Amino acid sequence: MDKNRCAGFTAIDISDGTLHGFSTRTVLLATGGYGRLFARSTNALINQGDGAALAVKAGCPLKDLEFVQFHPTTLYGTNILITEGARGEGGYLFNSQGERFMKDYAPGAMELAPRDIAARAIQTEINAGRGFEDEYVHLDLTHLGADRIKKRLPGIRQISIDFAGIDPIIQAIPVQPGQHYSMGGIDCDINCRTPVPGLYTAGEASCVSVHGANRLGGNSLLETVVFGKIAGRSMVEDIEELDFANDDVIMDSIQNEWNRIKNVMDRKNGEPVYKLRDELKKVMFDHFGIFREEKSMQKGIKELQELRSRFENVSIENIEKPFNYSLIHYLELEFLITLCFPVALGALERKESRGSHDRPDYPDRDDNKFLMHTISRIENNETVLDYRPVTLGRFPVKERVY
Amino acid sequence: MNIKVFRSFEGSSRYDVYELDPHPGMTVLEALFYIQDRLDPSLSFRYSCRGAVCGNCAMLINKFPQLACRTQVIELLKGIAYPELDPYHAITGGEMWDPENEILVEPLPNLPIIKDLVVDMREFFKMYESISPVLKSDDDATEHERLMDPSEVHELEKYTNCILCATCFGACPVSSKDPDFLGPAALAKLFRFISDPRDSGGSDRLEIADDRKGWWGCKFHTNCKKVCPKGVPPNLAIGKARRMLK
Repeated sequence: MDKNRCAGFTAIDISDGTLHGFSTRTVLLATGGYGRLFARSTNALINQGDGAALAVKAGCPLKDLEFVQFHPTTLYGTNILITEGARGEGGYLFNSQGERFMKDYAPGAMELAPRDIAARAIQTEINAGRGFEDEYVHLDLTHLGADRIKKRLPGIRQISIDFAGIDPIIQAIPVQPGQHYSMGGIDCDINCRTPVPGLYTAGEASCVSVHGANRLGGNSLLETVVFGKIAGRSMVEDIEELDFANDDVIMDSIQNEWNRIKNVMDRKNGEPVYKLRDELKKVMFDHFGIFREEKSMQKGIKELQELRSRFENVSIENIEKPFNYSLIHYLELEFLITLCFPVALGALERKESRGSHDRPDYPDRDDNKFLMHTISRIENNETVLDYRPVTLGRFPVKERVY
Repeated sequence: MNIKVFRSFEGSSRYDVYELDPHPGMTVLEALFYIQDRLDPSLSFRYSCRGAVCGNCAMLINKFPQLACRTQVIELLKGIAYPELDPYHAITGGEMWDPENEILVEPLPNLPIIKDLVVDMREFFKMYESISPVLKSDDDATEHERLMDPSEVHELEKYTNCILCATCFGACPVSSKDPDFLGPAALAKLFRFISDPRDSGGSDRLEIADDRKGWWGCKFHTNCKKVCPKGVPPNLAIGKARRMLK
């Protein structure tokens, strides 16, 4: 950062551990979402919120981070996505008592209820002790027959065989809800410009807010295909007006990063990264996951604060330069520790239920108070929240009823 | 059980043996993370999606090139009946293992090793780039879709399913000897564009591989098809291209 504008970036070459600085006129953050902040996620293992964490540390605000989508059916074990299509084709959801429990949650739509409703229903069944091994329910396709499964759901069948050793023609698929999409992200306008001159963002990393509080299936392509192009266009438009910063800014950044990394590499006998990482993800899923209640979230925030102080003493015990994944995992954990607070505090302060954000203690949507974007920043190492009115387009907001 | 893992760092190499207690469904990738987290933080391997989509974690497991994320530890110990591969240096001889109690994990063959299980993919991607793997079209309109007959999609899909994991490249006996051979993945990708009715590359596409580095270098060992995690048949593509040239 140079005088409140983005002047470039530093990067670590994973293959040899060297640090590099780049002086640029524009930077695009397109690093994907923060799905791996949660214990169960359908996301790739590398979706650790890199871009959003880097942005907020550099002074760029984040938007609506508490809006996190949970998919109802992820494969027990790996949490690989079992597509909606499996229910669309006529799959049934059963609890351990052999009941098609969706009758109690969405008697009209049954298994075809929207993602958030199905996810809550499944988790409610599991929490009430009507799951299998207290972990999952059954998605049963067996009644569809071998032909239909092979023709219409070959991908799902292959995933079940490869990753759970289960053939859905013969057996039900064990499924549980898991994090699936990050609606929130780096604050930007409809042309992918962030409030920081020179910094742009697109894709799941960004929050243009086309998805509002809950994304509809298929709409993530929009983020890449449409907004990827728009971001590029904005950068081209602005580039003439943005000069390169003084090289000293970049050299200082490299030096700072080098010192920081050296400091971590020199630490000895601290806690290992994986331990904190696994605890953090569990806290996030348990307290800021599908259901978000005041008391539980207060407890969660205390635990997050403890994890943040323990993070100061983490050590990595691997000083090799090439492909040092201990260091990479450390840096990723730092991203997650940065982002957990905007998500958690945003969820705590949003005292209503809206889209993916479900507060059993505030079950109704409250447009008077919360038809607002949550804007989060980091000031003096603490997350501070602010609110901004929502720009409504041609569609008025209205109640969802099933 | 034990996992015997190839290790290399700054020019010297060895095999390290790690002991672990696999849970049902545990994949080789999970086992490697277990080692990295708890037993030896210096172990390096590539990964990203853990769901057989990104192709990053291709390696040689029990002398069979495959994705670590899609291979289950207990299944390996039970003894999976893999299709038999035509022999080449990486799978004949070398380090042995006890198949009932042990898994042998080595880097993907036919590519330079950078560290442990991480290989240098640059040559592989250079070959891929050399066949210009993008749609060529005379129609430069961007405001409408380029349509094709749905009946033609099936033939195309066989090849678009490729995830560029390079297991085929690592399994190819020709690639193991001839560094100039384009290899199964690049040739299958080239054929994907040749068989795409929307592509206007035409006979140029066929001809850029009309030599021993391309279509005519293949010896039809068919290891490529046997190891492909996505069922892509490069051997079929190569055979078809040769017939088109005759």
